[in-house]
Amino acid sequence: MEESEEGKSSINENEEEEEKEQQVWSWGAGTEGQLRTGRLEDEYSPQLLHQLHFLSSVTVLACGGAHVLALTSGGRVFSWGRGNSGQLGHGDNNNNMLNSCCYPKPITFFDHHSLTHVSAGWSHSAFVSDSGCLYTCGDGSFGQLGHGDYRSHCSPVKVEYFINKNVEQIECGMRHSLVLLKDCLGNQVYGFGSGKRGQLGISTERIKSVSLPQVTNGFEDVEIVGISANGDHSAAISADGHLYTWGKGFNRTPDVHCPWCLPSSSQFTKAALGWNHALLLTGDGEVFMLGGSHHGVLSDPEKMSPAKHLSENANEAALERVAALDGVIVVQIAAGAEHSALVTEDGTIMTWGWGEHGQLGLGDARDQTNPQAVSLGDNVQNKDTKFQVYCGSGFTYAIRTLCVPSQS
Amino acid sequence: MSYDDVEIEDMEWNEELQSYTYPCPCGDLFQITKDDLELGEEIARCPSCSLYITVIYNIEDFLDKKSINKLEKSKQQPVAVA
Repeated sequence: MEESEEGKSSINENEEEEEKEQQVWSWGAGTEGQLRTGRLEDEYSPQLLHQLHFLSSVTVLACGGAHVLALTSGGRVFSWGRGNSGQLGHGDNNNNMLNSCCYPKPITFFDHHSLTHVSAGWSHSAFVSDSGCLYTCGDGSFGQLGHGDYRSHCSPVKVEYFINKNVEQIECGMRHSLVLLKDCLGNQVYGFGSGKRGQLGISTERIKSVSLPQVTNGFEDVEIVGISANGDHSAAISADGHLYTWGKGFNRTPDVHCPWCLPSSSQFTKAALGWNHALLLTGDGEVFMLGGSHHGVLSDPEKMSPAKHLSENANEAALERVAALDGVIVVQIAAGAEHSALVTEDGTIMTWGWGEHGQLGLGDARDQTNPQAVSLGDNVQNKDTKFQVYCGSGFTYAIRTLCVPSQS
Repeated sequence: MSYDDVEIEDMEWNEELQSYTYPCPCGDLFQITKDDLELGEEIARCPSCSLYITVIYNIEDFLDKKSINKLEKSKQQPVAVA
């Protein structure tokens, strides 16, 4: 209802973004309003969403446990989905502040800020401004907001610890957060929140949680260019293409308390983490997986028997290439809690893994052990079309951006 | 097979649901009540999907609390800490 109201207030469709036209689809678990369909139900097939003027130029979508943050090209941020911990950041709304919200609503706290990066965890949210400041809101009961206490906030609060530092990236996991700083070799990565599985990488001893950021060990001589967090896992990619992981062990291997460099000759460009697996993309467009032995068999108790593919060294999870993707060049990867998604060079979206809530978008609730192409209806392939895919815990979003060639 | 083994100290007490909860990968919560724990139940289920987890806990911790509660009936309800 209110969605159309918001739409009406800005009828003038193309005034801002003449260069780009976007289509957005969502599918999977939807009972918290996270799919933006206006219905609180699961969807087994991609749902083309009602075009909203103010969301016509989404540059980044961040999908969490059951909420979504959308960053637009103008640096504004909108949120929707579950809000019971304050993760939507719509704080001032008095009684409604902790309600779920099934239509995109601007986080008015940022009306006078321009944002460059957002991340959504299980029940917390984080935002980076163009001046390198970090803000967090939502569930803080494990210290994952980084404010030095265990309070939750329903409106974004600046993380004082980084006030004189330049934050580049924030990644929110289930109960922890990782921060990557700009131009700060040696002390680039920080962790806070729950650390029980080693996901903060701040100590070899078992740490329950910390509520103030602490430097992640092991990167003293390494330049990190990207970080990832989900579930109780953490990962980082170095400038020379090495992958580091820490936190909960994959395939029930022991937890890793200090970042561990994966021995591999591949050059990794991106890591997407689930709750029990990691997807890795190489510079050549190949996809590898860590901890994938249960991927796509979750609903089948027969196949859930303890890990068949134990690596030679049972303390380390084996890195496996996704063989079904032979000859396919992949340009983007994303991981939900127990499902995976990717975009191929020719603009095909593929999904696999757990499908019980329709999060694979294949029209049913079945699991898939190999990547399957998702049909977005009669979409005209066009070389000026760019696809992006994003996964929340049990749901998925796809965005098609048509870049109209400029007049010159 | 159980999706995961989770220690009770890693679960959160949810006042509204009157249950200990833990995030389920579908987006909902695995749930188990104190009564279930007192009975020795170790499976926490998610109301939205087929998955369940095994809760690792010491049943005496829950039985003790109950008998203590009975002894101190005059006192108010104990505050549950997850």
